[in-house]
Amino acid sequence: MMKKSAPALVRRIPWVLVVFVAALTIPWVGSRYDTFLATQIAISALFAMSLNLLLGTTGLVSFGHVAYFGIGSYVCGILMKTYAVPFSIALPAAAIGSALGALVFGFFCVRLTKIYFAMLTLAFSQIIWAICYKWNDVTGGDQGIPDVPYPNLDWMSSIPLLGDLRIAQQFYVLTLIVVMLSLAAIQRIIASPFGLMLTTIRENPERAASIGLNVRRYELSAFVIAGGFAGIAGALFGIFNRGVFSDFVYWPKSAEVMIMTILGGIDHFWGPVVGAATLVLLNQEITSYTQYWPFVLGTILLLLLFVFPGGIVGGLTTGLEWLRRKTGRRASA
Amino acid sequence: MKMQRLLLGIFAASLVPAAAAAADTIKIGYPMPLSGPASVYGVPVVKGAEMAVSEINASGGVLGRKLELLTRDSKASADEAVRLARELIIKDNVDFLVGTLTSAEAPAVSTIAKENKIVFIAPTSKTVQLTSPANLHPYIFRLASNTDIDGRTGAAIIAGWKDVKRVATIAPDYAYGRDAVTAFVDYIKKARPDIEIVDQQWPKLGQSDFTPFINAQMAKKPDAVFCDVYGGDFVTFAKQAGPLGYFKAINNRMADSGEVGATDEALALGNDYPYGIWSDAYDPVIWPENEPAAHKAFIERLKAYTKEKYASGWAIMGYASIFALTEGIKKAGSTNSDKVAKALLGLSFDTPIGKLTFNEKTHETDMGEFWGQMVKDDRYPFAVMKNPKYLSQGPYTN
Repeated sequence: MMKKSAPALVRRIPWVLVVFVAALTIPWVGSRYDTFLATQIAISALFAMSLNLLLGTTGLVSFGHVAYFGIGSYVCGILMKTYAVPFSIALPAAAIGSALGALVFGFFCVRLTKIYFAMLTLAFSQIIWAICYKWNDVTGGDQGIPDVPYPNLDWMSSIPLLGDLRIAQQFYVLTLIVVMLSLAAIQRIIASPFGLMLTTIRENPERAASIGLNVRRYELSAFVIAGGFAGIAGALFGIFNRGVFSDFVYWPKSAEVMIMTILGGIDHFWGPVVGAATLVLLNQEITSYTQYWPFVLGTILLLLLFVFPGGIVGGLTTGLEWLRRKTGRRASA
Repeated sequence: MKMQRLLLGIFAASLVPAAAAAADTIKIGYPMPLSGPASVYGVPVVKGAEMAVSEINASGGVLGRKLELLTRDSKASADEAVRLARELIIKDNVDFLVGTLTSAEAPAVSTIAKENKIVFIAPTSKTVQLTSPANLHPYIFRLASNTDIDGRTGAAIIAGWKDVKRVATIAPDYAYGRDAVTAFVDYIKKARPDIEIVDQQWPKLGQSDFTPFINAQMAKKPDAVFCDVYGGDFVTFAKQAGPLGYFKAINNRMADSGEVGATDEALALGNDYPYGIWSDAYDPVIWPENEPAAHKAFIERLKAYTKEKYASGWAIMGYASIFALTEGIKKAGSTNSDKVAKALLGLSFDTPIGKLTFNEKTHETDMGEFWGQMVKDDRYPFAVMKNPKYLSQGPYTN
C-alpha cells in the first residue's frame, strides 16, 4: 500500500532500478556463493511476484502455480538442450508456453471460486507433474533433463568489467536484467486501469460484475499473465539449476512460493521479493545449523500470521508508521 | 518507503563472505539420501564411507593430511543433489565429490562436477547413461557395475535353467529398470534363442499395489521371471505376490538383479522372503563358505563401527568409494582434481571383496555382482545367499 504520508520524491524514485543497480554489484563485492544465492533469490522473487499477481492483486488463491513454472523450465530446457535453440528464443517460448498452459487450465479454473478454484489449480499442476514424470522420451522422466547449457553470453565479454566474470556470474547479470524487466512490467500492469480492475474484483467480485465487468475474463487474463511470468522464472531456474527435474512441478514447490509471498506480505509490491529473499537466506542459514528447518519455518510463519498478518513488509510498514507518528515528522527523512 | 531499505539490507547481508576454509584437511563432499525411503541404502553407504575415513585418518591420512567428510541429505532428489553439490563446491570448498545413490541424482551431479572441474565418484548409481560416450567427461567415475551388467548377469542365470522356455520381466518404469531389462532381453535372446519373452510388466517406482501386475503376469504362465524391482518396492511386491501364489506358479524361478540378495532386503522381509529365488548383492555380508579373510575382518569392523547385529550389504560401496579416491590422490601426489582424474584412469585399488580397477575408457570399475540362491538358514532369522558366486564383468561387457 502506498503511504500517503511518504514524500512525493520517495515515491517517484524508480525503485526497481535502484534495487537492480544495488543487486548488480554482488558479483564484484561478494563471493561466488553470494552470487549463487542472489541468483536464486532473484528467480524466486519473480516466481513469488507472479503468484502475487493472483494472490494479492486479484485475490485468487492458486495452489498449482508451480505448473507454469514447470512448463517454462521444461520448454526452455528441452529447447536449449535437445534442440540447441538459443536462449533469446527459448525464453520467450517458455513464457508463451506457460501462458498458453495457464490459458487452457485457467479457462476451467476461473469457473470455480474459493476452495474449489484452489483445488482445481492443484489438480492441474499434478497432471503436469505426472506428464513430466512419465513422458520419458521428452522430459527424461525421473532423471529430468540434466546439463541444460548456459545461454551464449559471449556478447558480455566485450563489455568492460562483465567480461572478467565467470559464466555463472554473467548468467546472474542476465537473470537480474530479465527479472527486473519483468518486475517493472508487473508494476506497470498493477498500476494500469486493468490492474485496478483486478483489485476491484478482489475487493468485491459481485459488485464488479454488477457494474458490468466480465469478472471471469479479467481473472483469466490475470491467470495467463501470472502463468507467463512464472514460466520466465522457471526457464531461468532450469538454467541456473543446471538441469530440469520433475521435482520442479511437484506440489510442495507451490506451497513454497506461497509461503514466500505470504511471508513477505501480499499487500505490498515488494512483499514477494522480501519474502523470497528471506526464505532463501533463512533456508540456507538454518539448514546449516539444524535439520529441523521445517519446524523453524513453521514457527516463524505462525508468529507472522498472528503478530504481523501483513507479512514482513506489512509489519514493517505498520511499525514505521507507528514510529513516525510517535516521533513526529522526523522519520520521513 | 522504508521497505526498500530493508531490501537493500538483505542484499547487503548476503554479501558477508563465507568463512575461509581451513586448508589442512582434504574435504570430500558426500551428498546421499539420508531421509525418506532411499535412506535405507543411503545411510549404510555413508556409514561405510565414514568408517573408511576414520581408518585412513587413524593411519595418518593421505599425503600427510586428514580427510574430512561433509555428508549432506540429498533426499534422493536430483534437484536437491545438484543444489547440495554446488553449495559444497562454492561454499564449503570441497576438493572432491563422492556420493549420490540413485540413477537420477548421479547424472545431474555429474554435470556440476564437469563444470567445476572436480572429481566425482558415484558409488551406486547404475544407469549406463551416466558414463555413456555422450555424457562422459574427465571427472566422472563410477564404482558399481552398470545396468548392462545387471541385465546380462541376470540373463546368464536364467539361461542356465535348461527347461525354461517362457520368460517374463517385471521392472520399475524408469531409466534403471528400462535399461536393465533391455540388456536382459538382448542377452537372453542370443544365449537361448529357444526362450520366448511372454510378458513385460512396468510398475512405477514406489508402487503401492502390485496386484494387477502380478495377476497379469501369472495369466501369461511364465516358467521364469527376470525382476529388477528393488528396495522397499521389492518388500511390497514380495509380500503381495506370495499370498497370490506367484512364486509357487513360477516355481521360485526368479532372478532379481536389484540387489535384493543383500542382508538389508532379507532383514526387511524376514520370513516373507520368497526363499528359493536368485538374486545379487554388492556384498553378500553373510558368506558361510570360503569367505575371504579381508571380507571377514571388514564385516567385523563394520559391525563394531555401526553397533549393529548384522552388517549392511551396501556399506561396502561407501567404504570402497573413499579408498578409490584416496588411492587416486596418493598416485597423483596431489589433491588437484585434474591430476587425480588422470591418476584414477587404470588405477587398481584393494577392497574387502577383492581388487578393483578403473577402466581407462569407460571410467567404470570392473566390479561384478555376487549372485546366488536365497535360502533359509537356521542360523539366521532371514534369507541368506547360498554359495555366493562372484560374476565378474569380464564376459558381460561390450
